Amino acid sequence: MESEADKSPVLVIPCSGIGKVQGLLSREATYLVTDELAPGETDTLCLALLVKGDADAVAKVQMHKCVTIDGCGKACARKNVEMAGGRVSKAVQVAAVLKNYRGTQPGTGAILTVDGWPVAREIAETVAADAACLRAGGEVAP
Amino acid sequence: MSDPTNTGASKVGIISCSGEEIPEGTISRLATLRVLRSMRPDATVTICLPLFLAGEGGERNFAKTHPTITVDGCEKQCARWGTEQHSGPVARALVVSDMLGGDCAGCQRSMRSPGPWDENAVRIVADQIASAVDEVLREQGSEL
Amino acid sequence: MSYAVLACNGVDKAEGALAREVGLQVADATGGDVVCPVLLNRAPARYEKTLARDALIVVDGCGTRCASKLAAGVGVKPKQKVLVSGLVKASGEELEASLRLGPDEMALAKSIVADIVAALGASGTQAAPAVAWDAPTDFFVVVFDKFEFRIPKQGYRFSENDTWVRAMGNRARVGISDYLQQQLTDILYFDPPELGTLVEQFGELGEVESSKAIFEIIAPVSGAVVAVNEAVVEASPELVNADPYGEGWLVEVELSAWAEESELLLDGPAYRDTVGPKAAEY
Repeated sequence: MESEADKSPVLVIPCSGIGKVQGLLSREATYLVTDELAPGETDTLCLALLVKGDADAVAKVQMHKCVTIDGCGKACARKNVEMAGGRVSKAVQVAAVLKNYRGTQPGTGAILTVDGWPVAREIAETVAADAACLRAGGEVAP
Repeated sequence: MSDPTNTGASKVGIISCSGEEIPEGTISRLATLRVLRSMRPDATVTICLPLFLAGEGGERNFAKTHPTITVDGCEKQCARWGTEQHSGPVARALVVSDMLGGDCAGCQRSMRSPGPWDENAVRIVADQIASAVDEVLREQGSEL
Repeated sequence: MSYAVLACNGVDKAEGALAREVGLQVADATGGDVVCPVLLNRAPARYEKTLARDALIVVDGCGTRCASKLAAGVGVKPKQKVLVSGLVKASGEELEASLRLGPDEMALAKSIVADIVAALGASGTQAAPAVAWDAPTDFFVVVFDKFEFRIPKQGYRFSENDTWVRAMGNRARVGISDYLQQQLTDILYFDPPELGTLVEQFGELGEVESSKAIFEIIAPVSGAVVAVNEAVVEASPELVNADPYGEGWLVEVELSAWAEESELLLDGPAYRDTVGPKAAEY
């Protein structure tokens, strides 16, 4: 029997690190998922609220399946969701995707270039597909 | 580690919330970067909130030894809370929703297709952050 | 150790002709077998025993690296790879735009072969001696704004281009400093030099690429490249960020002029004194 959680939105949580383009890529990829590719089936939440221990934020990550998108190896989003007791079904690393875009300049912490948007979209499409799989009760490779 | 050699000049740290859920979070982030990169590049250092909260040594040490301005998207003030928890009182705590008078109806979270409301909001907030930087430095006895 | 030599034999450019000549001369000098690239491509079984028995030296004329790709296609990892176009560039010579080798080209081939054979003799005829590269534990720390840059107090020398070298006997490892890895941010790729490449001090020693910039590694020392950090090249370039003085090393060289060249480099305290002003300027 499907559990209630399987029908609820999958949470997509970016790290949003401000100093580097990877943080912006994680953020914009998240918005592509929640606003364009899988609206209503996915949602996001503020990572800082979670770290602060906001009761609603903590309850959300414990109840819903989560996909984290981290800009760098420090993995702030994944670690903080796990520390709050959340279920990280998939942990995406932007740096791993950037390896497929060799020689491009994706942008800065403030703005994505024409090279940067395809990277955000690739991340978003993968996450949206994973979210659909998770909602259907399936598993995805972590 | 041993023998630290501090060669930085007097500067203000700015910690912006990441505010993924609301447009004010995006405005906070962009305005902070504008102040850092073009309005007060020699007087400011931006501190990455996720790293700061995760305990990154350099970010927290800087906030302990320099005046810090927090820029939050909303009244929950996560950046202010985090700074006061881990480094001490802040010099200024700015809230975007207060600065814009609660009027952010035309603003967006994503900058895929920024509109005039977004640019206007970023400009207003960046100006106020820059003014706050100037005030804090005057209080510290440094001139721009 | 016995050798087999596979040269690309590219017939449409001077570098191909030179690669063939270099391959033949290396085979003569080492007593090795010549592997025909065309036959290897058409009937690889003909060379099965040779390639199982001999260490393979691959000589490519240009960056297309046909010979290297052929070797990879038959599942053979070369003992040494030579890129003639790179060596020609490093020599400062210019090849005639001809498919036939003149006296200058023959002299250049001879010089290249001598260096290859010398490098083989130094590091290829027997297993390289194991060197214990312990990670540094004592550092200077330069603090600038929120950044902390670490510099090993001893055992490392630095160029003004922010590369470091650590010598142990006649071998040395080369990498980039903590200051430089922080400026570059997350390293995504490292393009290493070919094994056997002869590098001069302040010449090129590969490239690192981050999302922010592509940075040419300037060799702090002269020597022959005897190893590259495969972990960084293949799977984990982030090691350069995480551990720039230890697991994030880039290239290992057999030194050729350490005594005089080390004097042109900065020790830990001297390099430390350059980092603060550089950070301020940046």
